[in-house]
Amino acid sequence: MAKGKVELMAPAGSFESLQAAIDSGADSVYFGVEQLNMRARSSINFTIADLTEISSRCKAADVRTYLTLNTIIYDHDLKLVKRLLDAAKEADITAVIAMDQAVIAYARQIDMEVHISTQINITNIETVKFYALFADTMVMSRELSLRQIKKICQQIKDENVTGPSGKLVEVEIFGHGALCMAVSGKCYLSLHSYNSSANRGACKQNCRKAYILTDKETGNEIEVDNEYMMSPKDLCTIDILDQVVDTGVKVLKIEGRGRSPEYVSTVIKSYREALDAIEDGSYSPEKVDGWMKKLETVYNRGFWNGYYLGQKLGEWSEGSGNQATQKKVFVGRGIHYYPKNKVGHFRIEADKIELGDKILVTGPTTGVKEFELSELMVDDVIAEVAQKGDDCTIPVDFKVRSSDKIYKIIQA
Amino acid sequence: MVIVTLQREDCIGCNYCSEVAPNYFSMDDDDGKSILMESVEKRGFHTMKTHDPDAFDECSYAAESCPVNIIHTKQV
Repeated sequence: MAKGKVELMAPAGSFESLQAAIDSGADSVYFGVEQLNMRARSSINFTIADLTEISSRCKAADVRTYLTLNTIIYDHDLKLVKRLLDAAKEADITAVIAMDQAVIAYARQIDMEVHISTQINITNIETVKFYALFADTMVMSRELSLRQIKKICQQIKDENVTGPSGKLVEVEIFGHGALCMAVSGKCYLSLHSYNSSANRGACKQNCRKAYILTDKETGNEIEVDNEYMMSPKDLCTIDILDQVVDTGVKVLKIEGRGRSPEYVSTVIKSYREALDAIEDGSYSPEKVDGWMKKLETVYNRGFWNGYYLGQKLGEWSEGSGNQATQKKVFVGRGIHYYPKNKVGHFRIEADKIELGDKILVTGPTTGVKEFELSELMVDDVIAEVAQKGDDCTIPVDFKVRSSDKIYKIIQA
Repeated sequence: MVIVTLQREDCIGCNYCSEVAPNYFSMDDDDGKSILMESVEKRGFHTMKTHDPDAFDECSYAAESCPVNIIHTKQV
């Protein structure tokens, strides 16, 4: 897979997603370790001990690695911050994505590359110049328009704004995934209503619920066009990606550390193809249609272009959550792989699989593999269906491991 | 008697418990997570038993404040 002039950055909330990102053509991955990242509530964060494995897997695939350490930091966190950064440096992680000055300062002290998180909310060239004293890459505010981003990119070139590495500062923007109803990193809704701070990675997502607006004085319900009045649709830029690339941004970040590995796989593959198509001149409306259909198969709240084209208001989601056109159903686990015959052995633990089914296999080392079931054997006999309780073998061109899970994909 | 438990591993270090119940909780400067004082650890559960009459209210307040619901109190 070609690696182009715009870096495609993938989210990795688990080894499954990490592998899916690598296999799908990501140029870099970002991930959280322990509790000091914006997905602290998530049960699938990595631990310090995983840093070496993340680093070595990614290095082997020439994929850059970014540790997100971008919550607000209290005094009691400082030792952990230092320990995390020391461990990341030791494991040769490429850079840290930071917000708090304590993190930025210590990372620089140990000569670790710093990227400025979207939580800082950079909206102008002077702020870029300020953070250029510490950082080589900066995520712009998600509320900027492409016109504004392009101007910032141009000024970086014109004024030769360089980071600690001596190279021009690279601008990063969000390309796809969930948007926040508040200005990036400035939401206190979850904190005020549940004591659960979004800025400590514990957002309760109140904005994703349906609400009724009542005028307390009259008791009248105020009609709003959508009861999900605070839940923005998800950002999608694949249909305006040529304009995005034209701004001069160097890094396109895909949101979704809390998403499934097949989400990472589908989204990264689509954006990889789209970025490559822009580079080789084959980007077209027909191709965009194809990518859009693929993106709709995985988790989404409906899509819009965010604020990039200068919209004044958000576009609100029409439902409480996922509007994906497909879903996965767990059917069993991997048992063994016979490399000579290229056959995977699975045990069906729920539901059934039959010829023609779309099959998904995920695992921490396997990543994400999808295929259509065209051959199947149950207890060494050719079969059309494997039922719950059956041991079956399927010809596959990847190694099946006991840590793998097998799913079938059905229309949602 | 009041029994308070803390599932420390899931703590995100938000500081609320030590803020609202400083006599029973503090923050560990080493790993940034909450400490339930005078507690005994068994399989990830840190348990503190006390006859202190104030403990139930104060620790219940901490439990209510905890964004990840890892503090539990009961009176026996």
